Amino acid sequence: MTRAEQQIIRKAAAGDRAAFRELVLEHSHAMFRLAWRISGDQNAAEDIVQEAFIKAWRKIGDFRMQSGFRSWLHRITVNTAMDYLRKQARVKQHETPQPELEHLAAGSTSPKHDIQIDVQAQTRAAMMNLSDTERVALMLRHFEGHSIKEIAQILNMSSSACKQAVFRAVKKMRVELAPLVTT
Amino acid sequence: MKNITDDDLTLLYYGDHENPELATEVARSPELTRRFDALSADLQRIDELVPPARHDDYGSEVWRQIESRLTPEYSTVPSRWRSWLSTLMQPRFSLAGAISLVLVASLAFMLGRQAGQPEEDTPPLSVQLTAADAAGMGPDRLLTSSVSGHLDQLNLALTQFANRPGTSSGQAERATDMLVANRLYRKAAADQGKKQLAQFLAELEPLLIELAYEAHKVSPETLSRMQSEVRNTLLFRVRVMNQQLKQPNIST
Repeated sequence: MTRAEQQIIRKAAAGDRAAFRELVLEHSHAMFRLAWRISGDQNAAEDIVQEAFIKAWRKIGDFRMQSGFRSWLHRITVNTAMDYLRKQARVKQHETPQPELEHLAAGSTSPKHDIQIDVQAQTRAAMMNLSDTERVALMLRHFEGHSIKEIAQILNMSSSACKQAVFRAVKKMRVELAPLVTT
Repeated sequence: MKNITDDDLTLLYYGDHENPELATEVARSPELTRRFDALSADLQRIDELVPPARHDDYGSEVWRQIESRLTPEYSTVPSRWRSWLSTLMQPRFSLAGAISLVLVASLAFMLGRQAGQPEEDTPPLSVQLTAADAAGMGPDRLLTSSVSGHLDQLNLALTQFANRPGTSSGQAERATDMLVANRLYRKAAADQGKKQLAQFLAELEPLLIELAYEAHKVSPETLSRMQSEVRNTLLFRVRVMNQQLKQPNIST
């Protein structure tokens, strides 16, 4: 973390809204990507990002400079997303979340493009068939580059349990995607 | 080497494996190479998960959506007060410090009341200050005199902090006491319209927070940076302000 970032965070922690706005501008895109990969839904991801920033504003006074701000934000985003999914699960019990296709379908003009959309949709569906913990662990390792130790901290679990979650996620994904790979 | 599992290969793929010979082992064995390539191909499928693009202004849009929800009740201030109260409950908050803070709080309360009311309406003081403290001193002098004493203590504590190789729990305890006192004096100064003094005390707070809650946990580099800031800037400012407070003719 640079000294400038530390200054901004300190100001935000002291209640400076302009400083907090800078943090929102800086991290919104990355938080959206993470929230979307966890939730599998664009609207949900937007809600999660907003909720996560509001929580961050409330908790930024507790942030400790020696830990990474990005990891701290990821932890809040992950927790917010998992809360969101739990609420959704209560509403739609046993219903498999449908992969979001609108953005993929837009501009679809050729059979090749349609096949590509199909592959993405199936990959998305496979990902959504993982448990929340497995999916988050795999997302944080694969896309965000967090170490096993960092992911374990974010998910509040042991490193060993976190590693096992990644292993299970990989195994399940391979089974789900096997037909696609051989196609 | 023991049997190499797909879990080992997953760790290798993500660079998490602790066995430095694993990569060589996989490269030497056609069978392991085939398995590793298959695993890699499967994992690369995950890259297909490309989130829908957000426009460049997405951050501003998020800000517009949440700005009105960042009301004071959501701000960090209540949380700070809560942590303040929890700090009071922690053993490291010394009894002596707590007692002296009751006096500081009483003083700040009294000064705030006096500042907010016309002279003739000032009620009898019911706070637990000694009569001698208040006798012969208007609220203005009482505040500057009290803050001066506070800055004397701060000067001593900061000098010790700046010149010692490490930190101790005792220092954190004193910093906690001073942080609380500092906030009370800042509020009293603001109530009396002493903007410069209130501003100065406000600027001390981030450092006192660091000293109270973080200095004993930070890396040697950060500690050295903090000590350097105290030595090069803050101690000087504390001393100058204290000198001003001790000269009754200079307005703060």
